Order: sequence, then structure tokens, then C-alpha cells
Amino acid sequence: MAFAWALRNLSRHRLRSALVLLGLAVTSAMLLDMILLSGGLERSFEQLLLGRGYQVRISPRGTLPFDTEATIPNATRLVTTLREDSSVVSVAPLLGGSIYARMSDSLLTLFGYGVDPMSQALYQVTQGEDLLPADRNGIILSAPAARLLHAGIGDTVRLVGVLDPQMAQGRAEAVLVVRGFVRWLYDYEGQPSVGAWLPVMQALTARSIGDRVSFIAVRIRDGVAVDPVVERLRRGLPTLEINSVGDMVAHFRDRMVYFHQLSLILGTISLIVTLLLVTTLLTITVNERLGEIATLRAIGVSRRRIVEGVVAEGVLLTLVGGVLGTALGLATARYLDAILTSFPGLPASISFFVPRASGLLLAGGVLLVAGTFAGTYPAWLAARAPIAATLRAEAT
Amino acid sequence: MAYRMVGIVGGIQLTLMLAPVLGAQVAVPIAVERRLAGRMHLAVGDTITIGTAPDSVNSKAVISSIYEPAPDPASVTRQDLHLRMHLPDLAQLLGAPDRVDRFGVKLKPGVSAEGAAAELNQLAFGFRAHPSRVIASGSSQTFRVVSRFHRAIAVISIVASAVFLLCIMLLKVEERKPDAAVMRLVGVRGRIIFGAVVLEAVLVALVGSGLGVLLAALAGSLTNLYYRRLFDTRLVFSLITPDVLIFSVALSLLLGIGAGAVAALRLVRTPPLVLWRR
Repeated sequence: MAFAWALRNLSRHRLRSALVLLGLAVTSAMLLDMILLSGGLERSFEQLLLGRGYQVRISPRGTLPFDTEATIPNATRLVTTLREDSSVVSVAPLLGGSIYARMSDSLLTLFGYGVDPMSQALYQVTQGEDLLPADRNGIILSAPAARLLHAGIGDTVRLVGVLDPQMAQGRAEAVLVVRGFVRWLYDYEGQPSVGAWLPVMQALTARSIGDRVSFIAVRIRDGVAVDPVVERLRRGLPTLEINSVGDMVAHFRDRMVYFHQLSLILGTISLIVTLLLVTTLLTITVNERLGEIATLRAIGVSRRRIVEGVVAEGVLLTLVGGVLGTALGLATARYLDAILTSFPGLPASISFFVPRASGLLLAGGVLLVAGTFAGTYPAWLAARAPIAATLRAEAT
Repeated sequence: MAYRMVGIVGGIQLTLMLAPVLGAQVAVPIAVERRLAGRMHLAVGDTITIGTAPDSVNSKAVISSIYEPAPDPASVTRQDLHLRMHLPDLAQLLGAPDRVDRFGVKLKPGVSAEGAAAELNQLAFGFRAHPSRVIASGSSQTFRVVSRFHRAIAVISIVASAVFLLCIMLLKVEERKPDAAVMRLVGVRGRIIFGAVVLEAVLVALVGSGLGVLLAALAGSLTNLYYRRLFDTRLVFSLITPDVLIFSVALSLLLGIGAGAVAALRLVRTPPLVLWRR
């Protein structure tokens, strides 16, 4: 009943209502986008880190994986120790660094990964084969690297490491056969990356002295709580940085604090504008209809019914504006995501705006509360209008 | 050991440790940035031991100065701590004598940086020469992305503001219908009423812009205060330039005039008797 009355009132001034709906759609879209932005990046990063099921990262003390060129020494011994831990299912050592490919008389710069193909947390094979266990002759390429090297599966690639400008030659070279193409999970868009068995890459990048790796990913057994294992590893390996995925996400959040705070501020502003828009419209509408409201009250319509009608107008406006805003918000989120994911060096699979049912529900709930709240002041105005005085004023 | 800290210094992992001076090893001079000095309670003249890994902290260094690094927006969120050493001392510490990460080359006046870089790259083995302009352009890519994002958000805000302004003007015009009807019936020309409504919209936009500028200045000051404290830096995070100010006020006026004109047209195109009937 209240909603039917509200609908009839809103349709009396179609242009006005349409404009308010348009305004609400834009502010709701902004609110939704900011809700998606506020936690989207963290969720996306968490999904990326857990993509291969490894919950712990071990890196040089004071660093995060691939943050610097610092490396962990004596990797084989450390990996063996970790694999003996009953809570650990899998340990994936990894080395990363610049490497070069020789093509006729030129050198192409690539990013090289050294991996253990039997336990790796970094890539998915998209075509061809994975590296064999202890594969001294194989190499895997990202699609951009394959394009850059004009290499197909079965072709050979000559890699060069540690260039010496004084001697005008590389200190290490290896001719490797392309086993397959892979998607490196942490690569940025268009990154030409190659992967080889860890000892091969260590030799090419002069990291075999000291048996060095960039970081180690650890997969904890299902059913075992990760945090106590992390604490135990920290106590046992005090010279290394040990982080669970939750810790990594927290570090990432600290670095991306700007976007979190921006989303909070813009979301709040959107909500305030929504409130102002609905309150202004309803207040002016109620003032215009005071005579009508007084008449209704005079013929016995209760105050409660009047209040319900006005609040229902606010809720109706917010609901329709919210539905329009959801469609608009999802479209603008894609556009804004396309802008932000063009950050240099950001993994291509990261998203800033991650649509989720909980985000949509939260935006809807907040809007509904805002719409109801926005209707309370004009409803109070309508309820307290003196019947006789208003009717007299209308008559004159 | 008085204090121990492990961290990243200038992209290279160095471990610092305050320790009593033992043996006769010569301490190399180092300069420590203010934040690092503050965090480790270091002062000029202190002797510390440094190393490239937590288990190899065995080189002595004496703090010759404490410096404030140039604010760098590219690394402000990373919170890396820096120290400076003489090149041979660092190379010795890293076990990489006579190796460097990069050279800066100052050309003679009139020599093209692009041409020199191209010439060097033809001869190069193991290095690549880049004109500073290209490096600066690459480094500023992050900020260009942020700027594009801000522009997109600004467009959405402007659309919302324009709709809001138009709504307000339409509602105000609705309220004025009887007044406008009377004015039209007593002979006031439509142009005058149109002008009055537009003028009112301009005034609303001007006052709104003034308040907006004050609000922006306040928000900018709070933003700078908060982020400078958060990141312990002298960087300016929010800056209201005259260009931004002029553009914002002009846009606001334009929107005000547009909204006022649309609302006023509805008023003057409606016959007076219809307006009177409400």
C-alpha cells in the first residue's frame, strides 16, 4: 500500500524523479566500485598466491619474494630440511633474475626462472610438455618470450648469463630445447620469461656458488593450521623471512594503502551525496504536498501511514537507483580495472575490482539503509504538519 | 650487541648490527639516512658492523654523516632504508670488485643524448645506454596510470554533481512556478525570468565552488599531514595548483549555467496560467 502510494507520487513528476534516479545510479555505481576496490586487490592477490596451493613463502631476511636481488644461500640443504618436516607436503625453491638469449649477433634480455619442475608454485603449462625431473637440457617459455625468440616447441634457444663488458662475452652459456609454453603466474603483461631446471639457471646467473635461490614456497599439509607452522619455522630459521599468505597480503595492503583509503573516502562521499539527493527531493516534494497530506490526515489517514508513504518513496528511489547503479558500477569497474591493471610490473592476473556477491549485497544493504534514513526527515515534516492551519493556508 | 636490525638497504640486502668494536679491522665510512639512524638510534661517529646476510655481519663501518634522502614517490610505499658507501667499499663488501649497476654519463653541451645512447648501444656488450628522458618517462608510468584513474573518478564525480545540480535547480524552479506566473501575467518578459534563474544558478555554483575550494584545501592539508606522517617523508601528496583551481571553478560555473538554463527554459516555455495552476 505504502509503496503503491509512493510510486504514484513519484510518477507525478517524471522528469524530476528520472533525474534523481540518474543521480542515484551514478552515486550508487561509485559506491559499488569503491566497495569492490576496498578489498578487491587483496582478494585478487590472495587468490594469486594460493593459485598453486603453497601457503608459505621463505625469502631473504627483510625482503619479500622478488622485492630485491637478495638471495638465500645453501638452498638444497634448506629444502631438504623443510621436506623432512611432517607438516610440509611440498617445497618449491625458486631463483629469478635477468638472463639473455643470443639471436644471431644480438642479445635479447629475458627474465629467467630456475625451478624444480617436480614441485613448483609459479607456472601452468599451456602447450607442450613440462620440464622433466632434473632436466639439464630443457626450457619452458612464456608466450611473449616465444614470440620474441621466434621459438616453437622442440626448437633450441641459446641462453647467456653474466655478461662481461670488458671481455665482451658471457661467462656462462647453455643451449636448451623448448619443452613447452607456460603461463607464469606473477608475470606482468608481455613479460618475456623463460624457465629452466634450478641448477641450470643457477649456473647461468652465477648463483651456483653458495647454492642460492630467490625464495622458497612451502605447501603445508591439509588440515594443519598454517600460522603455528609459520611461527615454528620463524623460530627455527631466524635469519630468513617467513611469511604466510595472510602476512603477504598484509604487506601488500600496506603498500596499496592509498587505494584502500581512497575507496573509503569516495565511498563515504557517494553515500552522503545519495542521502542529500533523496532527502532534498523528498523534503521539497513533501512541502509541495502539505495540503494533500493535511487533507488525508483530516479524513482519518493515520500519521503512521503518512510516514510509511514518505519513507517508502525514499526506499523506492534508492532501490531503483541502486539497481541501475549496479549495472553502471559493474561496467565502470571494468573500465577502472583496465586503467589500474596497466601499472608497470603488476602481475597480469591481478585485479583491483573483484565483483563478489558479498560486495553487491553490502552495497545494496548500505543503499537501502541510506534510502530509509534519507526519508525520515521529510517523513517527520509530513507527520508534524498541523492539519487545520495547513488546510486554511491551502484554501487562501 | 646493543641493537640489531636486518633490512634492505638500497635494493641490496645489508644487515646492520650495532656492536662493540673488536680487533683492529679498519672501519669504512658510511652515510646513513635519517629514518634508519632514528630507528637504530645511530649518531655520527658510531661504529657498526655490516654484512650482506644476517649470518655474515663482520665488516666494520663508522657513521660519517646522517642525511635526508631526496623524496622519491616511486618508492615511498616500500619503506626501504638506505645508506651510502664509497663505491669500492660497497663492491668489496658485496664480493663484486669493480662491478657497478649503472653509470650516469654527462654529455658535452650540444651532444644529443639519443644519438650518444644509440652509438653506445651499437658498441655495447653487457650494458644498455638509455637517455635520461626515456628513463624518466618509464619511471613516471606508475604516476600516469594513477592520473588516468583520478581523471576517470573525476568524470564520474562531475556527472554526479551535474545531475545533482540540475535536480536542485529543477526543484527550485518548481517552487517558483506561482511567482513566475505572476511575473509573466504582470508583463515581466520571459528573458528577464530566464536571466534571473540562470543568475541564481551561477550564484549557487559560485558559492558552491568557493566552499569546494575551501574543503579541498582542508582535505589536501589533512591528506599531506596524514601521509607525510605515515610514510615519514617530505613528499607533497596533495597540491592545489592555480590551473586545477581555475579549471574546477570554470567547470562548476559551466555546469551551473547549464543546469540553470535547462531549468529556466522549462519555466519560460510553460504558459503563465499553467504555471499558476501548479
